[in-house]
Amino acid sequence: MTAFVKECRQEWKRLGVPDLLADEMAADLEADLAEAEAEGVSTAEIVGESDPRRFAATWASERGLVPEQRPQKRRRRVWPWVVVFVFIVLFLSWLALQTVGTSHARNSPPAQVPPARRATVPNLVGKRACRAEKIALAAGLIVRGLPRSRCHSLVVAQTPAAGTRIRAQAPRSAVKLRLRARR
Amino acid sequence: MAIESRRSQMLRGVLDLCLLAVVVDEPAYGYEMTRRLRERGLSTVGEGSIYPLLGRLEREGLVATHRAASDGGPPRKYYSASASGRRALAEGVRAWRDVRGEVDSVLATIEAEVTG
Repeated sequence: MTAFVKECRQEWKRLGVPDLLADEMAADLEADLAEAEAEGVSTAEIVGESDPRRFAATWASERGLVPEQRPQKRRRRVWPWVVVFVFIVLFLSWLALQTVGTSHARNSPPAQVPPARRATVPNLVGKRACRAEKIALAAGLIVRGLPRSRCHSLVVAQTPAAGTRIRAQAPRSAVKLRLRARR
Repeated sequence: MAIESRRSQMLRGVLDLCLLAVVVDEPAYGYEMTRRLRERGLSTVGEGSIYPLLGRLEREGLVATHRAASDGGPPRKYYSASASGRRALAEGVRAWRDVRGEVDSVLATIEAEVTG
């Protein structure tokens, strides 16, 4: 067996061509090449191919003895797309939450937070207690602990002093008055 | 494009017809077919070989095969045109002549100049 045919035979074996057929093809090729050589025709002229393995593979493939080699599909990597998808989902979720939060904040009534209003303590000294109370209320202040019975009492001192700016309508913003009963 | 390459490409489309033509009347084994082609004027079949093409013709059922002893040599695989092979040959020859005529009509207006 010539080297060319021998390599063809090996290739057919590698490709899984049944031995019976591979032997038959090898024998035919061997006989043809010998006959050609006897007539002065080179192997290259007969097989038209310098690579015995390629020649053998083409022959076997054309005969349908081996499956045609299809270009292998490139397997696409899936995981980068999964990561991107997850990121997109997370981003959209975050965006949705932000939008809902903003919308909720827009639609909901404003919180009943009393404005941090400040008031200037008026001068109440020398006023009657009930009059002083009215002045204080008009200024946004509250006078606590003033019994009705002391309505005509005179204010002789006040805390804090007149002119002080205090936070109006706050628990600790009450003005304390010292009263003196009218004689 | 190199002349040999163009020749190979042109032959590629009709070589199967040529192979069928040389076995339509009398069976032949591989090298014998090469010899018949050469005797009819086709000395080289260009790139490639007749063997893969014979394999395809066999697979497609266009040739029938049998083994028989050759003159003084080992048993050989003989090829002959099958019924479908004969039909394919007739259709192929008709198509070839049509194409050849059309191409000739186009190329006839070209005046080739060969300088030595």
